[in-house]
Amino acid sequence: MPAHQQSLEDATLVSREFIAPGFWHLGLRSPHIAGRAGAAQYVAVDIPGDFAVRLPLGIWTADGDTLSLLFREWGTRTERLARLPVGTTLSLLGPLGNRFTTPTSAKGATIVAGGLGIVPFWLLAKEYQRAGIALEVIVGARSKDLLVGVDTLRELGITIATCTDDGSDGTQGNVIDLLRARPKPDLIYGCGPPAMLRALCSFANERHVPCQISMEETFGCSLGTCWGCVVPVRRGCDQATGYPRAPADSRAYDLARVCIDGTVFQAADVLWQR
Amino acid sequence: MATLNGSAQPRIDTRVRIGSARLKNPLVAASGCYNRGAEFARVVDPAAYGAIVLKSITAQPRLGNAMPRVAPTPAGMLNAIGLQGPGIEYFLTHEAPALASAPTAIIASVAGFSVAEFAAVAARMDGLPNVVAIELDVSCPNVDREGECFAADPDSTAAVVAAVKERVSLPVIAKLTPNVADIKPIALAAQSAGADAVSLINAVRGMAVDVTAARPVLANVSGGLSGPAIRPIAVNAVWEAAKVLRIPIIGMGGIETGRDALEFLMAGATAVAIGTANFRDPLVPLRVLRDIEKEAERRKLSTVAALTGLAHPSFATKTGTR
Repeated sequence: MPAHQQSLEDATLVSREFIAPGFWHLGLRSPHIAGRAGAAQYVAVDIPGDFAVRLPLGIWTADGDTLSLLFREWGTRTERLARLPVGTTLSLLGPLGNRFTTPTSAKGATIVAGGLGIVPFWLLAKEYQRAGIALEVIVGARSKDLLVGVDTLRELGITIATCTDDGSDGTQGNVIDLLRARPKPDLIYGCGPPAMLRALCSFANERHVPCQISMEETFGCSLGTCWGCVVPVRRGCDQATGYPRAPADSRAYDLARVCIDGTVFQAADVLWQR
Repeated sequence: MATLNGSAQPRIDTRVRIGSARLKNPLVAASGCYNRGAEFARVVDPAAYGAIVLKSITAQPRLGNAMPRVAPTPAGMLNAIGLQGPGIEYFLTHEAPALASAPTAIIASVAGFSVAEFAAVAARMDGLPNVVAIELDVSCPNVDREGECFAADPDSTAAVVAAVKERVSLPVIAKLTPNVADIKPIALAAQSAGADAVSLINAVRGMAVDVTAARPVLANVSGGLSGPAIRPIAVNAVWEAAKVLRIPIIGMGGIETGRDALEFLMAGATAVAIGTANFRDPLVPLRVLRDIEKEAERRKLSTVAALTGLAHPSFATKTGTR
């Protein structure tokens, strides 16, 4: 289990920005969590109202005592969150989950993001910049209006190739098409919808390229106690839970919890057939 | 480590009895929500609880249900984990030794698919370090009776409790399902078979439909609803059972505040369990205990136990005993 340093912190909503239809960007002053946030980590937000469990949201940027969240409205909790006035106090639990790991020496890495899967990569791009390692970024979405966060990443001085299913921005096609058309990467980071991640894992595994992906599931507790967000992983891998087999059980997998054993998994460890 | 102001020196005797087990306070962390408390220890001292109920252990390892397994709902959450777990052998070898350093009293939870399985697994929990009682998750399907839920039938419930009582010396708690027309005959059957207490209630069966995808949200279709949405159902189950039982009741279902816990205590519960609320506010046991103590003090009661049954005519003496 990774070393955890978490806080339950009352954060203050300091900015609220509508960035595209359905997409919001919130700034939260949360010194303890912002100061420790790593790429692919998330916060569990206690949304005011009749909600029984916290809403997990990936940390987009973290700078000084402030972190930001980039999210889409997709249910009652996100709708409520998007309409809270600046100045609201929100209880955050975080930073939660493991992080993308950055090699100490590398020739370069390729980030592959689908839609809101761009969220973990602002912090990763900053890490790469600090380490002085080259990074290329591919971001895809169904159409231009679903490509969010790209401008913010570009502000870091990073070159980004975009693609859309309908050709409304960048190359027409998906991120895997774009990846195939390029020289083989040394290292891949991925985040996006399950179908994209599955295709990305196949791409990386077939070519023996190390690949880390950040996965998403519906969480219950966000703390690893409810077992509501499991993913099958290769038996014996770092994130395998290690439960013994029942008699006559020939399965080759274990179940890991996305919320605490992840959200980052090695592409070679994730088993998609279940 | 978080503490709340005013909770430093309890002036009230907070201890309660569950059979021969004495808990330092009436708050219990509900099964399946807390592991052994280590995950929560980063933000709260799990010793705030009078006891922690472990996730239910089965005879064999179980992978549980397919995903999705959880779904947030209005004021609640649906879950269909499917009793994922390592099985009793692995538990005894790899997890039970750590119970020696448990932050508080431990209640082991057992789930089974036959009477014999319950008895065999429970027998091996007896005598583990810091384990003060055994809770039976009798809401499982009974393979000997065509998958009917044990706790839906008084005789099946009694058979499990009696078989376990024969094999263990620790107090035995039967955790009953609310998915029945009348909880009283089931609770009475558990008591007659020797149960030392009952836990009321297990999650309420429910489901949600994803209208975009036009399919059930949970892979298992239906699941157990927990959270504040079920609190009135749970309080009523405690009230009904308290009419007929002489053994203690551990009340649970959507407790988030001291006021919620007081509803259960006054309806007849001796202790209360908190589950889903830990996910929203890990500090919930500190808040709830502080507020229970305040209420006892306001009523000039010297013990928390005296709050039990205050609203219930079966507790006519208003002293918490019948």
